[in-house]
Amino acid sequence: MIFEKKPTIALSGATGFLGSHLMASMLSEGYRLVVLGRSYKEETLKQRISKLLQWFGIEELVGQLELVEIDFLKPMLGIPEEEYKNLCTNTEQIIHCASDTSFSERKRDLVFKSNVNSLEGILEFAANAGVTFFHYISTAYVAGANVTVCKECLSSSADFLNVYEESKAMAENIIAAFCKKNFIPFTVIRPSVVYGDSHTGRSLRFNALYFPIQSVKYISEIYLNDIKNNAGKKSKQYGIFLDEEGFLFLPLRIFLPKEGALNIIPVDYFVNATMKIIANPSPGGIYHLTNNSLTKLEMVSVYNEQFMKIKGVEIIYGRSADNVLRNPAEELFDRFIEPYRSYLSDNRVFERTNTDLVTDNLQPPEFTYEIYKNCMKYAISVNWGQSIF
Amino acid sequence: MKNTANKPENEKGPYETARNCRHYAMCKIDFLGSGVCESGLEKHFVSYYPQGRMILYEALAEKKISITEKCVEIADSCNLCGKCDYQCYFLNEMRPTKVMEALKKHVGTFIANGGKVKPAKDDKILSEIKKIVGDNWATNDEAILITYSHDLSPISEPKTPDYVVMPYTKEEIASLVKLFNKNKIPYTLRGNGQNLLGFAINEGAIIDVNRMKTIEFDEKNWLAKVGPGVAAFDLQKQARERGFRINASEPAALLCANIMCSGIMSTFSTTYGINADNFIDAEFIDKEGSFFSLNDTSSPNLYSYKNLQHKSSPGICVSASIKLHPVTNDESGILVPFQTLDSALDFIKDCSVRHIGLALGIVGTEYISVFLSPTKKSAAEVKDIFLNKLGIPYLVVVIGDKFAIRTISEMGFPFFDQRLFNALYLGLPSLKSAEWLNLIKELSDDEPYSYLRIKSFADLLETALAPSPALYSQEIDPELRPFFEKLFSREEMTNLVWLNMNRIMSTKLGRRKPFLPVLIYLPIDNVLVNELNDKFRLIADKYQIDNDFGFITPIDNGKRCIFEYDYFFDHTNPEEINRIRQAATEVNILVDEYSKKTGTVKGHPYVLYQGFSRKENLLYS
Ligand SMILES: Cc1cc2nc3c(=O)[nH]c(=O)nc-3n(C[C@H](O)[C@H](O)[C@H](O)COP(=O)(O)OP(=O)(O)OC[C@H]3O[C@@H](n4cnc5c(N)ncnc54)[C@H](O)[C@@H]3O)c2cc1C
Ligand code: SF4
Repeated sequence: MIFEKKPTIALSGATGFLGSHLMASMLSEGYRLVVLGRSYKEETLKQRISKLLQWFGIEELVGQLELVEIDFLKPMLGIPEEEYKNLCTNTEQIIHCASDTSFSERKRDLVFKSNVNSLEGILEFAANAGVTFFHYISTAYVAGANVTVCKECLSSSADFLNVYEESKAMAENIIAAFCKKNFIPFTVIRPSVVYGDSHTGRSLRFNALYFPIQSVKYISEIYLNDIKNNAGKKSKQYGIFLDEEGFLFLPLRIFLPKEGALNIIPVDYFVNATMKIIANPSPGGIYHLTNNSLTKLEMVSVYNEQFMKIKGVEIIYGRSADNVLRNPAEELFDRFIEPYRSYLSDNRVFERTNTDLVTDNLQPPEFTYEIYKNCMKYAISVNWGQSIF
Repeated sequence: MKNTANKPENEKGPYETARNCRHYAMCKIDFLGSGVCESGLEKHFVSYYPQGRMILYEALAEKKISITEKCVEIADSCNLCGKCDYQCYFLNEMRPTKVMEALKKHVGTFIANGGKVKPAKDDKILSEIKKIVGDNWATNDEAILITYSHDLSPISEPKTPDYVVMPYTKEEIASLVKLFNKNKIPYTLRGNGQNLLGFAINEGAIIDVNRMKTIEFDEKNWLAKVGPGVAAFDLQKQARERGFRINASEPAALLCANIMCSGIMSTFSTTYGINADNFIDAEFIDKEGSFFSLNDTSSPNLYSYKNLQHKSSPGICVSASIKLHPVTNDESGILVPFQTLDSALDFIKDCSVRHIGLALGIVGTEYISVFLSPTKKSAAEVKDIFLNKLGIPYLVVVIGDKFAIRTISEMGFPFFDQRLFNALYLGLPSLKSAEWLNLIKELSDDEPYSYLRIKSFADLLETALAPSPALYSQEIDPELRPFFEKLFSREEMTNLVWLNMNRIMSTKLGRRKPFLPVLIYLPIDNVLVNELNDKFRLIADKYQIDNDFGFITPIDNGKRCIFEYDYFFDHTNPEEINRIRQAATEVNILVDEYSKKTGTVKGHPYVLYQGFSRKENLLYS
């Protein structure tokens, strides 16, 4: 049997949700990885990565993983010249996965610094290293807010839902222009909303899909506590009660701007599809890792009812909550989901021609109750990420 | 000496409890409305208050003194009523009655075993003193002297006086001064001895002014003339009953002593000012025993200010006419959270320049969590919640009328109003287990503290925390719980206006460990404040001294502020005392350097004995 030698890949963002999953998968597939990252708070890059490897159950790594503490905003990635030269010599491909995923307008400067300003350093590195491929992990939502069919091509939109989408769209264009100018083959990989592993439910991040579910759970706990310890004094005022079957009746209207659904993919699909793209990339290829089988929030609500024993959640489309008299639970929930609201009832359709071709039509699974249950069980077991490590 | 500060309170024996008395004199005022030790009110010497009995027991346990006539009287005069348990538990989580019982037992056993009680020494001078003040009001009994011999200042050394005298009139003081001068006996005035720096401790005679408690209101002229024995809390109480307010610093501080020593300052100093802003006139006895008033044209100029660290006392203050301020019936308190010291500084500066709010003060998480928590253990947990779950490292306390509060709301700052503060305070035990706080933190990502904008947030917080005096008292020693449940049912105990105008909020600051405040006056210049904040921290860290940001209050229309940074130390650990001394020396050098460099920074040591100076002379000359 002839083993094809796997290229040495420099991976950024390996401490993040998607990057760490890619790292784990690539290591088990025998790739040699050079992880480019930073220490954070009190932890060195080494400590951060080893915690993650432990989480993935990866132990023995003889010569397969190298860690380099870098700073994208500094010349030569902020490392000594000799080390930089070695890094350039050894690197064959780059996967740029590092990203600030905040949607907050308040953090515009930081988001742009991380997602756009930092590109100069890594692109220059790509050019100096003469890499055979530069893979960029982007988002399916670069297409912009007002597009109904999103093509597997660069975005020219000027209208985004948040600063994250805007920065990623700009980053894609910068990368494409630079790579074309410098004859560096590149790909852009665009996942939609990613949740945990569809088989095990394990995850490292609990935002997007998880956040509304977690919000309902916490709000229900506030009222359950009131019913248990305070004779339900407050609950009664808002018609909240525990029915005979032990279900909490919690009148909670969720106001969504328009009819639509969630486009969610599990992280295992993201990893498998990305691995196939990296194994067989087309220069300039843009790939949508999205789900043709959409998840309606009503469905999630039914799952919630079964899993958390909560009734009374109602989804209202096409109406803003602004002038509606809301109970405290509704008001709090509205604030909680605000950053994610548009993604909960999205009706953008994503082209998948390139993806289907390169992945042999590998499709993400439908979001079934079984998957929901596994994911939520895991989320609760790690206190929604508070106690993973 | 063994280090005992970290032992849980309920495991501490009477000796350890006694040694941990903070000497703040809070047992001399009725701040909980539960009454004050009866023997103290009758006998007036600090020795007959819980604080004095604690010091006495500590000395007996260390075999520093013998059992004297007064010692027996002090032990006997405690009726074990338990009032001091309430007060001391509220402040320090300690129960002094354990000490009182041990003191009684110690003395009782001594007598039962035929021990000989040491009689008072005959002394010619003492007889002369007694002729002036009466037999009951002067003593050289060791048991009393020892209770005036030290405080917790890490800087000063203990000194046992030869006499303690408690005059009743200013004429008596004048005669005493003449007597002491004639006999070359040094004398030192003592208010409640809580100046934190050992200033009321000396050899010779201690003149304790605690019998001179006259208060005369002159409402037409907006003043209250007080004798030197009147505590801030007591005057504030009477002023409020008449519809006024005074600028009160520590509640147990005697007003004349406070003005004498460092000048009165509080969060209300934003509006009411500091130093000479706080009084209209004052009466003194000079070094020769003659009287003068500040308003006399021939009197020494105490309004002037000199940048001198060891200025001597200008005389004895025998009365002060304290300014009364008007109060409106729509005042309330709020807490405005900030993510950085810079943003909090911008806010207080803006408010004080625009005259928004009566009282303003930036406080840190140590300050707020120690105050809110019933125990030391929960204070540490609450500090963590404030920092890591609510993302609140700084809070600005604002007291203002409805227009001020409305303006702050219009300025776009979300805040905890009185209702939310009540819920947080009395719902504290549930806060610690509240998982939903994790989501609150996420919300702040988009706009800090935007959850406070949710209209029904107060309702939600009340639902989630189910605040009540009973819930709050859960963590309190079961024997004291019924008292605390009742106490926290009283509106004022959670009322931000009451708590601030009586400065109750800061009285718990020394709960974990006693503290040494680093105090300076400086412009509200963010770079300068941050620089000094960092340097104070670095110095403390270098000497492994616990430290934290204390408070910042703007004064004089935002032109300057008072900045306190606190160093906490274990007073039972000589090695730590040594370290804090070195740190304090380094801080003084640093402040001197900044004073020279900037021409605007003024260190607090220079203000001592100059509390009568005009603030303009202090701040700008
Ligand atoms: C926890 C805590 C927090 C504090 N926070 C503040 C604060 O926020 N604001 C503030 O202003 N201060 C504060 N202080 C300091 C304290 O309030 C003042 O130092 C005050 O002067 C102490 O009052 P006292 O009656 O205990 O005075 P003492 O300690 O008894 O006396 C202080 C000095 O004044 C002299 N003196 C006393 N009476 C007279 C008199 N009649 N005539 C002449 N000299 C006299 C004494 O000899 C001594 O030098 C704080 C202290 C503590 C313990
Ligand atoms: S227990 Fe004794 S010391 Fe304490 S307040 Fe009562 S009488 Fe005073």
